Amino acid sequence: MTAIDLVGLVILILFLVSMLVYASLGERWKVVFRPLSGLDALDEAIERAVEDGSRVHVSLGTGSVIGSDSAPALAGLAMLSKIAAKTSMSDKPVVATAADGAMALLAQDTLRTAYDEAGASGRYEPISGRLLAPSPFSYAAALPGMLATEDVSVHLMSGSYGAEGGLAADFGERKQALVMAGTDDVQSQALLYATAQYPLIGEEVFATGAYLDIGRMHRASLRTQDLVRFLIVAAILLGTIARTVGLWP
Amino acid sequence: MKLGPYLVWAAVATGTGILVLLGYFFQLDVLIGLRLLLIQWAVLLAAAALMLGLFNLLSVHWNKVSLQQHGWPYSAMLILFFLVTLVLGLLFGPDYEVVLLLFRYVQVPVEASLMALLAISLAVAGFRLLSRRRDLVSLAFVGTTLIVLLGTAPWPIGGESSVYLAFSDVRAWVSQVWAAAGARGILLGVALGAITTGLRVLLASDRPYGD
Repeated sequence: MTAIDLVGLVILILFLVSMLVYASLGERWKVVFRPLSGLDALDEAIERAVEDGSRVHVSLGTGSVIGSDSAPALAGLAMLSKIAAKTSMSDKPVVATAADGAMALLAQDTLRTAYDEAGASGRYEPISGRLLAPSPFSYAAALPGMLATEDVSVHLMSGSYGAEGGLAADFGERKQALVMAGTDDVQSQALLYATAQYPLIGEEVFATGAYLDIGRMHRASLRTQDLVRFLIVAAILLGTIARTVGLWP
Repeated sequence: MKLGPYLVWAAVATGTGILVLLGYFFQLDVLIGLRLLLIQWAVLLAAAALMLGLFNLLSVHWNKVSLQQHGWPYSAMLILFFLVTLVLGLLFGPDYEVVLLLFRYVQVPVEASLMALLAISLAVAGFRLLSRRRDLVSLAFVGTTLIVLLGTAPWPIGGESSVYLAFSDVRAWVSQVWAAAGARGILLGVALGAITTGLRVLLASDRPYGD
């Protein structure tokens, strides 16, 4: 094992221990959230969609499950389970799309479980979790038709996107839907900042689970991220000072 | 914790995840071999999932055609060309001239057109951004975009002028100092979020594979 492997393993253990400790603390230490306008508006928009019979769409991006860019889509799946429960009694339950076959299957499993838990197993349809198209730009090309046919009024994007992410958000805007979008790629985040009504910047896409109150592990994850971020920033500052004054060659 | 078959899926997912993860940290032949084997299985499963996904895609469009829903002719076209391409690919292979022709003269131009559409969409989105979110950050975003565009794109006249060179210098300073620093901060947050998301799946707290 090299030194860098050891450091990586120590950081991973720090993450694990911190998440478990924060999760065990649970409600004894209240989480204070900074306001995120998109997530504040989301609840109201979902309620409106349920009432007026329009549909919520969750886009899981154009990345694959086995790729290194699957994390925002996994966060999107957690969000999907919560939204599926909220819209289970609607005339038009939530629909989820992906550009990867395995991701579409995960969306179906997530929806089926959410409906089972909400006591609405009969509402589940396998085509509500679907492969929209198998490549990034064909996915973007297929979106306007899907948004129009399914009468989407809330367009949520949580996944990996390239340049097609800008188009995907813009198509939602043209449909006058509420568009909230987040991704892991920095350049795509710039596109989403310009095109989406409520862009999620940086780690905000990974914080949706905690904001939507999906479970205590989501809140523990958010606290762990903050803790490790403070430690990294402190290490950078100390390293800079040590190097400047010649303590660290 | 309720008991159920999901515990089996969760145990398999967690065990597999831990084995693959340990293979990155410990350079033991057994672990490295296991990691590679499991990743190969994952690739095979992803290919099988793609087939299921394509079947799902066909089901969606077949439903639309059957129920004569809005836009059903497009769905019918999709099914027709999907089947034609699939049969040609299966019978003659992906290097067959007609399959390559379909890719070169249909798929590539459509994707290029979408990239061109993106340029227009972004210009419109820039104006929309200013009308919708008139705050300091949005103004800085649009201002920076203009500076970078003026410093990067060729000017029809005055391409050698001192004004153009000044814009080029400002663009380099903005992109190499401010943008790079900001991007690193964002990447740090994204990396931390991705790790915690992965760990939640590894701990079976998040179970996207269902219960």
